[in-house]
Amino acid sequence: MQKKMTVVLVGVLLCLGLVSPVIAGDIDWMQFKGTEIRFLMNKHPFTSFIEPKVADFERMTGIKVTLEVFPEDQFRNKRMIELNAGGTVDGYMIMPGQAKLHYWKAGWLKPLDAFIADASLTEADWDVKDFFAGPMKGSSIEGKQIGIVINAEASLLSYRRDLFDRFKVKVPETMQELEQAVKFFTGKAVDGIKMVGITLRGKGAAATSQWVDFLYSFGGSWTTAQGKSNLDSPESIAAFKFYGDLLRNYGPQGGTMLHWAESTSIFMEGKAAMIFDANVFKSLYENPKESKVAGKVGYTTIPAGPAGKLPHVSNWSLAISGTSKPDRQKAAWLFVQWATNKENVLGALLAGVPAGRASAWSSAEYKSKDEHPDWTAGSLKSFEIGQPQWNPPVLNVPEIRDITGLVIVDAIEGKDVVQSAKKAAAVMNKKMEL
Amino acid sequence: MKQFLGTISRFIDRRQALVYPAPAIIALFLIVVVPIGYNLYLAFTKWTIGLGDPRFIGVDNFIELFGDERVLNGVKVMVYFSGLSLSIELILGLLIALYFHRQFKGSEIVQAIYIFPFAATPVAVALIWRIMLNPEIGVMNYLLESIGLPGSLWVSSARTVIPALVLVDVWKWTPMITLIVLAGLKSLPHDPYEAARIDGANTLQIFWYITLPLIRPVLIAALMLRSLDNLKEFDIIYTITQGGPGIASETLYLYSYNVGFSFFKAGYGSALMVVVFLIVLVFNVVMNRMRINAQDI
Repeated sequence: MQKKMTVVLVGVLLCLGLVSPVIAGDIDWMQFKGTEIRFLMNKHPFTSFIEPKVADFERMTGIKVTLEVFPEDQFRNKRMIELNAGGTVDGYMIMPGQAKLHYWKAGWLKPLDAFIADASLTEADWDVKDFFAGPMKGSSIEGKQIGIVINAEASLLSYRRDLFDRFKVKVPETMQELEQAVKFFTGKAVDGIKMVGITLRGKGAAATSQWVDFLYSFGGSWTTAQGKSNLDSPESIAAFKFYGDLLRNYGPQGGTMLHWAESTSIFMEGKAAMIFDANVFKSLYENPKESKVAGKVGYTTIPAGPAGKLPHVSNWSLAISGTSKPDRQKAAWLFVQWATNKENVLGALLAGVPAGRASAWSSAEYKSKDEHPDWTAGSLKSFEIGQPQWNPPVLNVPEIRDITGLVIVDAIEGKDVVQSAKKAAAVMNKKMEL
Repeated sequence: MKQFLGTISRFIDRRQALVYPAPAIIALFLIVVVPIGYNLYLAFTKWTIGLGDPRFIGVDNFIELFGDERVLNGVKVMVYFSGLSLSIELILGLLIALYFHRQFKGSEIVQAIYIFPFAATPVAVALIWRIMLNPEIGVMNYLLESIGLPGSLWVSSARTVIPALVLVDVWKWTPMITLIVLAGLKSLPHDPYEAARIDGANTLQIFWYITLPLIRPVLIAALMLRSLDNLKEFDIIYTITQGGPGIASETLYLYSYNVGFSFFKAGYGSALMVVVFLIVLVFNVVMNRMRINAQDI
């Protein structure tokens, strides 16, 4: 009898919408039913993964979600213009290392700490401590969490394992070994293709995000302890010179115009023995439809320089707009929380998006399906030792990257790097905004 | 009510010259005068998009501009690119127009095909040229090498980037000059030619002493039309090089775009835009004076 009563009661409550039909743990996912939220998204593997699942979230919460997806350059412009105009954006993807300072000062980032701490808004099982500390620190500012990591990125040295085995070349552990290896392969005819030793990004500002790993590993830095430009320190100059020489002497023609798309396609054509770029591009190299080197690639961390192995670790995060209305911000938080829950992050990792959660990497499911343990090991090692600060620590990041990029171009063209770096440091000191 | 309508109708009758163009003038004012005025205002402010409101700083932006090496570089690139492309387009356009001016079998079909580059969308053709000019995988080096010539770095080298971009611009825009000049040639009077032939002038003399002076106003008009776009060339350069390698193809126009939309410095970017505007304006005032003088001959 009692059982019957319970069934009836639950049925009535269900009809009244007081109990969520989805069994989803300890918070009320239906609390913002009927709210409409809008997110601006970059065209990125994570977006492709999450987009088809949004309907599940809508069913679970009764919140209507609109995702607007744009290619990266347009995405950045669109995001800034919409936020500046005070539009109806409730959340967006952000690379905190690129834009957080500007966006924070403009008031476009909502601190999430209160949401995370609120037991009525955040499931205990969501577990903020499961995220890697480095990237999460990258997504915080003045001690406040302003984004939740959806993807951690580090750069890896990817190499043609088949050729390294065939010619018995040692996988480089140090910068000297790297130079020896690229020298060995440059000009070598392999299966009818004249090889280059390595391909790297060389296109000005776009190259800085990869060059920065060399900067740190050579002991250089963006700024001094006094907050002045440090681009002209001997260590920074050594990094410019090494990177430029590598690309000029052992890289493809026209190095100064190589963005990641050009650089990765040269590697995928089988024309380069090595490439240094973001780990996320594994999904390109290993795609047999696009790549001639699929199944032949090995992965390792950046070789150690005079200051050691110091890669950067960057990330894409989901942020909530500071200009959105409070109830919509809370609804947006439910979406961010759901998109970054353990299950979704693991699903994205299985689809090739390097996850920002430890539990995804250590799950039995991922381990059993992992075809590239050296990629996994290299990525995890890089996250562990990586520097979250990969851009100049200034407000006007794009402008300072641009100024730095000019020195990289000069270095690739074999010009006087010392003079070029000194000039860039002077311009940086003048234009830098903190 | 009737009286009111009568008043309105009488007002319209008396002020026709004012009332009928009014909608067009208001629309033009909103889409031309207001943005230019706002741009001029921003040029005297410091404003990073998103960070506060524009702050008036007088002529500081223009002072900064004089110490900025990239401004000088931008002007140099602009002069190099525009000087080279405009002169080649003008000469080539004129020669091809003279060729088409003689009637020959199938000339209409040839002309129609010749117009293609001019009719195509700039960004679309620039994307294709970008791939063709790639030194590693592009078809241009393949063609050069197949006839035994060494490949070029094209847009991937600071030395060859401007000539390579000029090549694309010439390919795209010479047909426009040809079209204008051809229309001019067709409208020339026949009498001077007959007189010259009776006097025994040869083809070269006829061209030099009759065609060229008569066609000069048209040539200058074509140059003016083309230079308006060319001096602020954006689509082709941005799509193919984004101003690279380094800043080797960064015209002043491209630099001001970068400052405004990549660096988010709307104030300084607007000041740069004012300079571009002045350069284009002065060039066209001079050209217009030349055109009027040429017509007086």
